[in-house]
Amino acid sequence: MTPIQILLILAAVVVLLVYFNRLRSRLLDRVLFFLLAVLAVVMVARPDWANAVAHFLGVGRGADLVVYLGITGLAFLWLSLYTRQREMDVRLTELARRLAILQAEKPKGKKKGKKVSSE
Amino acid sequence: MGIMPAAVRNSEIFVVVPAFNEGPVIRATLRPLIELGYSIVVVDDGSKDQTWKYLKDLNVHRLRHSFNLGQGAALQSAVSYALAQGAKYIVHFDADGQHSIEDIPGLLAPVISGRADVALGSRFLRRADWETVPPTRRLLLKGAVAVNWLLTGLWLTDAHNGARALTRRAAQRIVLRENGFAHATEILQQIRALGLRHIECPTRIRYTDYSLLKGQRFWHAFDVFVDLLIRRVLR
Repeated sequence: MTPIQILLILAAVVVLLVYFNRLRSRLLDRVLFFLLAVLAVVMVARPDWANAVAHFLGVGRGADLVVYLGITGLAFLWLSLYTRQREMDVRLTELARRLAILQAEKPKGKKKGKKVSSE
Repeated sequence: MGIMPAAVRNSEIFVVVPAFNEGPVIRATLRPLIELGYSIVVVDDGSKDQTWKYLKDLNVHRLRHSFNLGQGAALQSAVSYALAQGAKYIVHFDADGQHSIEDIPGLLAPVISGRADVALGSRFLRRADWETVPPTRRLLLKGAVAVNWLLTGLWLTDAHNGARALTRRAAQRIVLRENGFAHATEILQQIRALGLRHIECPTRIRYTDYSLLKGQRFWHAFDVFVDLLIRRVLR
């Protein structure tokens, strides 16, 4: 096993542990994340398997396949984060609006408005 | 001629004024409106300057966003509040003093008489008005007119004119979700989608050094376009 393989496997394990430890999420997410980590470790530990899959899909090397899939995955991630951000903005706006309306200060002066609009 | 509309008290007309960092001019903008006896709702959109302090002793409804959300969000907060206060008619009015109060009756007239649900201000209907528009801005605005047409199907003479008048019902039905400057286009989209009747009315825009400095710049237009595009794709 080469040093880079050890490093990458360690990284995958650490990320998995941190995810399980810090982020509470749905069981489905956890299972998916676990499978992804296992896949990463396997790809790193057995590059020849990755190569075989790559060849099957018409990609030259396993590493290239990982890059392509990685970029696609990141694009999806970016999109889902962006969507979530927009949703958060909507909620935040609603919150600030309600607070502003609740704490609204009414005019202090006497009522005007005896005048009649020209129309 | 239709039926004469019942007299409307100015206090039933709610002028909504979103304000962000308008400390230097906010009082000058509001004073004549207060004189006319309109009900006024000012939303301080999380200003970093003294805007809120300057509002304290004025005869207006004061709302404050805890942090800056954008002009569209401030406008919607103001309208929601005004409707809850029983507003019969809503007038949108910018805080920077670019609009003239003399144009308000003209905007309200078609809305009160029932000829339209929404009256949109335009600085390109009277020669005297558009002659004061700086040439580069004329070009930019006409470009925005075309973009608005592409996105909403409404061809107007002006774009991003903050002066509008709405019936209560129209104000209830139009719900702004665009927090930023894209709300100007969003209003048109909803007018179209909801089948509201609109009309353009002449308004004069006062171009002062202050309003030119604070007004929308070219990159704003780009931001707005991206906002609208993203919305189209993601929703």
